[in-house]
Amino acid sequence: MKPSRIAWFFASLLVACGFVMLWQYLSDARLVSPVFLPGPDRAWAALVRGITQGELGARWLGTIERMIYGWLLASFAGIVIGAFIGSSERARAYVGPMLELIRPLPASAVVPLAISLLGLSEAMVLTVIGFGALWPMLLSTVHGFAAVEPRLYEVSRALGLPQWKVILKIALPSSMPDIVAGMRLALTVSLILTVIGEMLASREGLGSHILISARSFRSADLFAGVILLGVTGYVSAMALTLAESRLLRWRESH
Amino acid sequence: MNKAYEASNPGGPHAAVTAQTGAPVLAAKGVHITLGGRKILQDIDLTIGEGEFVCVVGASGCGKTTLLRLLAGLYQPSEGSIRYRDKEMLKPRQDVAIIFQDYGKALLPWRTARGNVALALEAIGAPRATRDARIEELLAKVGLPGEADKYPNQMSGGMQQRLQIARSLAQNPSVLLMDEPFGALDAMTRQGLQDEVLSIARSTGATSFFVTHDLEEAIYLGDRVVGLLANPGRVAITLDVKLPRPRDQLTTREDPEFLRLRRELFDFIKKAEA
Ligand SMILES: Nc1ncnc2c1ncn2[C@@H]1O[C@H](COP(=O)(O)OP(=O)(O)OP(=O)(O)O)[C@@H](O)[C@H]1O
Ligand SMILES: [Mg+2]
Repeated sequence: MKPSRIAWFFASLLVACGFVMLWQYLSDARLVSPVFLPGPDRAWAALVRGITQGELGARWLGTIERMIYGWLLASFAGIVIGAFIGSSERARAYVGPMLELIRPLPASAVVPLAISLLGLSEAMVLTVIGFGALWPMLLSTVHGFAAVEPRLYEVSRALGLPQWKVILKIALPSSMPDIVAGMRLALTVSLILTVIGEMLASREGLGSHILISARSFRSADLFAGVILLGVTGYVSAMALTLAESRLLRWRESH
Repeated sequence: MNKAYEASNPGGPHAAVTAQTGAPVLAAKGVHITLGGRKILQDIDLTIGEGEFVCVVGASGCGKTTLLRLLAGLYQPSEGSIRYRDKEMLKPRQDVAIIFQDYGKALLPWRTARGNVALALEAIGAPRATRDARIEELLAKVGLPGEADKYPNQMSGGMQQRLQIARSLAQNPSVLLMDEPFGALDAMTRQGLQDEVLSIARSTGATSFFVTHDLEEAIYLGDRVVGLLANPGRVAITLDVKLPRPRDQLTTREDPEFLRLRRELFDFIKKAEA
């Protein structure tokens, strides 16, 4: 790591500490009733208790699992469909306007439909996650495949590469930066929709944990759930950054 | 000497091109091509013999690249035919390699030099076990030994073009089609690569077709120089270059025959532009 990056890391750590201290101060000063705002000490205690003695650990795992399944589902479908649409100008012309029409629909708009079709089931939650996360995936993959240097297709023809090898060896790696960017967006969307889906279908997860804690005025438990959500989002984004820098090493090697 | 002027008479008979050193490898017969509703090339007759080095010159936009693409099988003629060893050229062939001018776009930026050469070996289905040795050999041949692990964006323009040449050689081509391969390089790098290409053509016995803007480069490299005129593109002059080989950057360029050819070609271009 470069010295400047270490400095930034410590600076951000300092800000985080400052935030926790402010939070502690506010709750100690009782500016907000402790029924609604527990201090970080109580939230932390609830978190530890929840994991060691309660169900919190299992719920956390449930959320992570759903998020990852939905994300993988969206990524896979997005890459396959996006590759098809992106590599054919005609397909882009035909399907493009429809994509633009469906894309702005919030994922929550499909929730009633998913519920009526699949009930309050695990499949419904996964469908909603997959559907919502599909769009960023699809659009960035289409963009990536459409932007492949045409000269490379000529090189492939001159080399006599069969079509499937052209997709695998030329178009896919060339679109990788866009695909990874799409996967990053899709991951964030997946986490959000996982929580919403869990709240709606009361599946065992952080979403339902937070909802139930809020309804029963257990604010410390609620905050414990929110902290875990934050950790999940942060760690998954970090993991993706790491994977990205390995996968796209060629881009920064100037 | 076999030459023909046609500058003042675009509708007139085209220059027939006959001089060649061996059996025909590539032949264009009565080729016309229309692109985007415009006639780009008209009545092209060109035969390239085994092992011959043919250079093509002509003003920008006269159809040099289009002709190369036709010979490569990337385009199909609207009329007439392109034949490779007496077979119709209906699509690109693995033994006819293309070297593009814009090496930056023709290389895979996500693959190292090794990986870029490997692409050609993967395409021709070279046995996996032999690939590494072959890559080293090819990179050494184009003057890039020890650069196998660099990415294209870590290399200079000249190195990238060498890499593209190495990749095309991995196809074991019997024909090399080069489209202004050194157009974007500085004079020193250019001369080094000219000699490199000559020695590669000599050692592999490949038949070469070389597009350039640079008249001296065309004479220095070629056995024959073909001059095109524009609108529509057509063969207007053919010069046989009877300069001894191997050629040398100093002595060849001072040869009276070189200077005479250069004069003739310059006169032709001037007349064409007038
Ligand atoms: N696919 C195409 N569709 C329509 N017109 C084309 C196409 N390709 C080339 N042309 C036209 O054909 C003419 C010849 O193009 P070409 O690229 O062969 O010229 P060139 O001699 O290689 O020029 P330069 O020296 O600038 O590379 C140009 O006027 C160009 O606009
Ligand atoms: Mg050109």
